[in-house]
Amino acid sequence: MSSVMDLSNALAGAVATAARSVFAVHGRPRLPSTGVLWRPGLVVTASHTVESDREVTLTTPDGQSISAQVAGRDPGLDVAVLRAEAGGVPVAELAPDADLRIGHLVLALGAGPRASVGVVSALDTRAGRAAPGETIAVDLTLYPGFSGGPLVDVLGRVIGIATSGASRHLQWAIRASAVSRLADHVTQRGRIPRAYLGVGTQPVALPEALRERLGLEQRTAVIVVNVRPDSPAGTAGLIMGDVLLSIGDEAIAEPEDVVAALRPERVGQTVTVRIVRGGEPRELRVAVGERPPRG
Amino acid sequence: MSVLHAAEAPPPHLAPVAERLREVTVEVGSGDGSGAGILWAPDLVVTNAHVARATALQVRLADGRRLAAECVVADRRADLALLRVPRTRVALASLADSDGVRVGALVIALGHPLGLRGMLTAGIVHALGPLSPGGRPWIHADLRLAPGNSGGPLADTSGHVVGLNTMIAGGLALAIPINDVRRFVSAAQARVP
Repeated sequence: MSSVMDLSNALAGAVATAARSVFAVHGRPRLPSTGVLWRPGLVVTASHTVESDREVTLTTPDGQSISAQVAGRDPGLDVAVLRAEAGGVPVAELAPDADLRIGHLVLALGAGPRASVGVVSALDTRAGRAAPGETIAVDLTLYPGFSGGPLVDVLGRVIGIATSGASRHLQWAIRASAVSRLADHVTQRGRIPRAYLGVGTQPVALPEALRERLGLEQRTAVIVVNVRPDSPAGTAGLIMGDVLLSIGDEAIAEPEDVVAALRPERVGQTVTVRIVRGGEPRELRVAVGERPPRG
Repeated sequence: MSVLHAAEAPPPHLAPVAERLREVTVEVGSGDGSGAGILWAPDLVVTNAHVARATALQVRLADGRRLAAECVVADRRADLALLRVPRTRVALASLADSDGVRVGALVIALGHPLGLRGMLTAGIVHALGPLSPGGRPWIHADLRLAPGNSGGPLADTSGHVVGLNTMIAGGLALAIPINDVRRFVSAAQARVP
């Protein structure tokens, strides 16, 4: 019986330990989200909770208000990296990827601290639009404001970042190793490169006859509605009206899939793009570029 | 013992604690049950004021005995009520110091959700404090409650009662910290000897 109390104390201790590195992130109207000090001067949160062109403030674990700037974001993974001078706040301890097993207890943390508990449901799933190994599925409740907060093990070590999940009771988290790769971009290059094709797209339904003829599983794709001149897509010969089926073997069923396929790692790589033009399948080789700065 | 590599140890379980908590959890209502309550003293039961609204109140003990209850004090704002019952000879609730409750700690609740008697649910302490600045403090628990849990105990893993389950808000269980309940009972007993 005392071992249950030991477990209870361990969970409370894990919350207390991890909460020392947790911030409230004020980057959207009304509901603040949560962030974690990942590296000295770098706070990680969920990209969808930080609006662009908006002043971001953070509330430190001891209640102080500090300002932050977006250093980079990966909308596909839903992770944003913020720069902030967080003074005496300790950097979160990360758990080694290999330690995590299905069934392990995990806690989700919000600023405050607030906490919920559950188990790891699946590892190495291809959840949503993330690549294999970037996400874990967890069975717990993410309460409003938990987005961007850490998922921690019973020792208070961070195993991932909570983003927006699949449903109320099955949630995905971005694994710590994937978050660290994004933080590396910021430390090494000062930003997270945004991969760029230079096309605007709209969703389209694929006619049954076409799907049968080409042996396609996907029911929808996207149609190219504009191509920027001198962009990677334009140079590769993509034209308005092309129906985009896949980028680098990843099926494109809707415009958001294009965003997800354009991971930071793809900048500078040449990928195969499958299209349908005039009812006929074609393959084009596109050298993925980096999105030019806005403005 | 490492909590990560506990495979060789027998799995911990809550059954003995749950059984003791079940004995001190009563059903409060006007016959067919409308909420729960905690056996506080041999002749006293504490519950929510919103559970003790009926004029002819009845308390059903865990062993099935039914007792007529009289409402001594009901404070609608605090949502607490103290009931007097004929003296019983069953175990009484053991109380924790709710100031020592920590976020993340395991907690269990006993009650009669949707009329199902003596149901146990488990979760963790989600947060501590008011719902909005300046409000009354609550223990927020990531734990499933339903109508019928009101007035019942929220306890730690030793079975010591840390709170009195009162509301559900945004999927979270809200319990009145047991230290606040203690103060209410002391004040009520001072007023009504």
